Amino acid sequence: MSAPPYSYSYIFKYIIIGDMGVGKSCLLHQFTEKKFMSDCPHTIGVEFGTRIIEVCGQQIKLQIWDTAGQERFRAVTRSYYRGAAGALMVYDTTRRSTYNHLSSWLTDTRNLTNSSTVIFLIGNKSDLKDQRDVAYEEAKQFADENGLMFVEASAKTGDNVEEAFVETAKKIFQRIQDGRLDLNATESGVQHKPSQPGRTTLTDQSPKNTCTC
Amino acid sequence: MEEDILNEIVSSEDLKKFEKKYHIELAAGNLQRQTRFNYAWCLVRSRYSADIRKGIILLQELCRTEDLSNESSKRDYLYYLALGNARIKEYTTALQYTRAFLQVEPGNQQVATLETLIKKKMETDGIKGIALAGGVALAVGGIVTLGFALAKGKSK
Repeated sequence: MSAPPYSYSYIFKYIIIGDMGVGKSCLLHQFTEKKFMSDCPHTIGVEFGTRIIEVCGQQIKLQIWDTAGQERFRAVTRSYYRGAAGALMVYDTTRRSTYNHLSSWLTDTRNLTNSSTVIFLIGNKSDLKDQRDVAYEEAKQFADENGLMFVEASAKTGDNVEEAFVETAKKIFQRIQDGRLDLNATESGVQHKPSQPGRTTLTDQSPKNTCTC
Repeated sequence: MEEDILNEIVSSEDLKKFEKKYHIELAAGNLQRQTRFNYAWCLVRSRYSADIRKGIILLQELCRTEDLSNESSKRDYLYYLALGNARIKEYTTALQYTRAFLQVEPGNQQVATLETLIKKKMETDGIKGIALAGGVALAVGGIVTLGFALAKGKSK
């Protein structure tokens, strides 16, 4: 039995990390289903979601591992970091403690992923304006100092959710084109799915470095 | 193969790491519940069904001996019991665990997703079985049996 032809040319592995209750699963759900789960129970272990997006004319399948934020899962969820091409690190803009823990999440991520992993910081719950506990500028500065991409987003309204996932993919794709991310390296978090013989895709003809996005 | 929660494989180094911790604590007579759970969680994600079965036994023990007030740990065990059983194709048992879970927490999206995935696998396995056996009569029989199994599952 032959495998069906792939409808995408790359697979990127993502992880979503951060303290419990910051809205990691809600962000995933908003991204994959375009819905907001108002009553979101604590994740057990890890959740998984996928979506195919288009970046620079390439169909890319995102395989997203959403880790539980509760401490008791921490030892085992660490093993999901390995081989992630993108890491979405989430805090809650209305709870300062979740922001204060970012440096420990970042240390973990840096230790457990590889140097080409793209880390994107998300300040979730931006819709709760009057409950804000962390200033945008402060988080932006933290992101800049640590070389992270950053947005404030809302899983509830969907604001900036798409952007966070897609911008991460664009950055990964850029790193592939730059040669900073080696597709052949194990644990790069990226799989290339060559197109089927006899099936032409637009990308076959286009020169490699014409991506302008 | 498409990666998902039912065919993702634990790395052997992780399995070894948590196995070692389990045996050290066991030998010292100081086995922590967290250590047992972490080891079981890795076992049910093994590529070998013998490991998965071992993980299921550990989870059943944890479930049996858990403090009744500790609801949050119980839901972890139920979830991974469902997952482990599904991975060794004990679909009916797996669905009993998801159903038990959903009775307590009806709106849980994570478990509902797992249940859907299990039902889908059940169906594909049934269809594959039919394709292997061939023959129209067998195919009809297969579908009836599958339908019966699903209906039985739903009515419980």
